[in-house]
Amino acid sequence: MNTHRAAGRPVPPVVAAACANGYLTRIMAMAFDAETDVSDEALLVAYGNGDREAAALLTARLTPRVMGLAARMLRGDRAEAEDVTQEAMLRLWKIAPEWRQGEAKVSTWLYRVGSNLCTDRLRKRRSVDIDAIPEPEDGKPGAAETMIEADRARALDRALAELPERQRVAVTLRHLEGRTNPEIAEVLEISVEAVESLTARGKRALAALLAGRREELGYGED
Amino acid sequence: MAKTDKTMLDDAALEAFFEAGRARAPEPGPDLMARIMADADAEIDARAPIASPVATPAARRARNGFWAALVSGIGGWPAVASMATAAVAGVWLGFASPDQLNSLAGGLLPTEDATSEAAYELEDLLPGYSGFESLAEEVQG
Repeated sequence: MNTHRAAGRPVPPVVAAACANGYLTRIMAMAFDAETDVSDEALLVAYGNGDREAAALLTARLTPRVMGLAARMLRGDRAEAEDVTQEAMLRLWKIAPEWRQGEAKVSTWLYRVGSNLCTDRLRKRRSVDIDAIPEPEDGKPGAAETMIEADRARALDRALAELPERQRVAVTLRHLEGRTNPEIAEVLEISVEAVESLTARGKRALAALLAGRREELGYGED
Repeated sequence: MAKTDKTMLDDAALEAFFEAGRARAPEPGPDLMARIMADADAEIDARAPIASPVATPAARRARNGFWAALVSGIGGWPAVASMATAAVAGVWLGFASPDQLNSLAGGLLPTEDATSEAAYELEDLLPGYSGFESLAEEVQG
């Protein structure tokens, strides 16, 4: 089983949209291959040797993952999350020629860089403004199911924003990014047991935070 | 039972939230993707002069300034080759010490069967040296 498929995330439609930008012809051609069996590491080495197509593939594959983590860590501040994502990817480009094969997974390395960058930013702005989390742009307000899903996603984001930072990272990586506990341990540079404890506490806190909204979100006592 | 506990969601309910969260993951916009690709291209361009196998002569000279100056200072690569040959020949002569070499050197070099009588002594080459020895004895005495 291809590990890159494990996250269960389809090729993002944004990749197709990006084609309007000139880079898109390249990403477009690559988008269909973004889930191929070529490992991230092989692509990174190829990029380190000057292969620009490899960069397009890596961008399509990895950017959504860092972005997913950064947006959640930064409590929905999209502009800042994009900055962090670009910075993390830039560090990946810079390290490519010296990448030491077999030492770390590329995605793990990237999550670590991304999460450290987010931590730095959070330290600079200590106040939490839950209401700053933007309303989701819902294109199809007609479908009740879509509404419920959007509401749930927003409620989850708000609840996540209230968790302590480490719990937020651990829960996001485990349950939203589909990473394994050993991988998360590497990202956070802690033991697997500590990861298990973080995710367990995070989930308990989320369950309590979200319980109050169960009726409005379609979880009434039925 | 978890379902009746109003203060907590059970795992299935929580999982539904995670599912919604995964379905509506914050995705990078096309501008961000383009910026990241531009960064990747810029990085390749920035390291191209070093990575490129066909560096221009000017770039090569700039990179190896010291050695290039040294080689041209002693007359270019042919001179370096001559010096290398001479150095190797010297090492070979030192180890092999062929007989013909000794006749050229006027018997100065010790041969394999050389005895102390046959070989030159230090006094033969520096006749005044023994005088120092007797002088030293006189001083001590």
